[in-house]
Amino acid sequence: MSEITTTAEPLVEARGLSVRYGAKRAVDEVSFTIARGRVVGLLGHNGAGKTTLMRAMVGLARPEGTLRVLGLDPRRDRVALLQSTCYIPDVAILPRWARVDDLITLMSGLHPKFSAERARQLLRRTSVALSDRVRTLSKGMVVQAHLALVAAIDARLMILDEPTLGLDVLSRKAFYEMLVDEWCDGERSVLISTHQVEEIESLLSDVLMLNDGKLVLSTSLEDIDTRFVALSHDAAVAEQMAAAHPLLRYRTGPGPGGSAALFDGVPPAHVQALGRRMRPSLVDLFVALTRKPELDRTQF
Amino acid sequence: MPPWDQRQPIYQQLADLLAAQLLDGDPPEGQAMPSVRVLAAQYLLNPLTVNRALQALGDEGLLENRRGLGLYVTAGARERLKAAERRRFLETEWPRLRERLRRLGIGAEQLHWGDAR
Repeated sequence: MSEITTTAEPLVEARGLSVRYGAKRAVDEVSFTIARGRVVGLLGHNGAGKTTLMRAMVGLARPEGTLRVLGLDPRRDRVALLQSTCYIPDVAILPRWARVDDLITLMSGLHPKFSAERARQLLRRTSVALSDRVRTLSKGMVVQAHLALVAAIDARLMILDEPTLGLDVLSRKAFYEMLVDEWCDGERSVLISTHQVEEIESLLSDVLMLNDGKLVLSTSLEDIDTRFVALSHDAAVAEQMAAAHPLLRYRTGPGPGGSAALFDGVPPAHVQALGRRMRPSLVDLFVALTRKPELDRTQF
Repeated sequence: MPPWDQRQPIYQQLADLLAAQLLDGDPPEGQAMPSVRVLAAQYLLNPLTVNRALQALGDEGLLENRRGLGLYVTAGARERLKAAERRRFLETEWPRLRERLRRLGIGAEQLHWGDAR
């Protein structure tokens, strides 16, 4: 059996993983796996622990518990790990004085698995020229150039911390187009943290949701469709919906018919009969699972 | 990015969108479908979702897998789609439309049926 399972071994495996800053646990006893060929969204409010978790995965934070990335221990085997992962941190900057072809030369010298030819090929998709200096590029172009550079590394895991923060909608679209077209080949995986939940939902195969350091959801998008039930309903039955204890009640639009309730699990038939079943959206789930307890009663 | 709604799973919405394009002859019968990667990048969808949509179109006999070449639009796909659309119109849309025409008091003679096209 063990020979068979080696190819299916997850790229990332965390068990009881915590990261402590002084007395505070920034990441608190999380367990999850990331398989091959997945697009995983890491969602959470500011301070939920997203960046800390990503930093732990590339050996930049000292975790407690078990963490294996590509079968390696990120703290002990950091050099080997960095050769097989691509990482864009949230504070990523490219040197402003450098020309893009300087960066390609630099990467070629630094990174054994970097392909200069592949980087040039990826850059041809963008409006960035090799002779451009970083300081003359727009924010969107810098991020595209950065993605082209890291995607030219022959690796199996890419970790992107808020890659599209501060970009306009066209730049974000171009970024994700390049990511899907040039990276997602069914073998390589990518972990992306973002606040733009709605925009990224259709791209994801899986989601990890952090709230205050704790993992409140770790599932595939496919399982979300079967586990959670959203019912849109008229205002007239709002009381009965509330009595069925949904995770969340929210408005879906203007007018009297624009209400919905989100349930974890299939509600009883008499409740289902009150509304029309909808696909639960990730952003509604996010609100339901990560809001602060003191906001509980102010939703409606 | 296309506005995926919450009424149906996204793969189903993509399947419907691609079926509508096939009905317009895009791509024509006998021609190759764009690859999963191309569709995923174009619609910003997870490749698994695109796979499911293509699978659904395959199950309806609209696409066929040519070994080593990928998915092709089957011969007769448009006729099949048109038949399904006609059925859907006559079974669900037309009764509602007829009811509305009746309520508005619009008769056949006011619809200038012969003028169209």
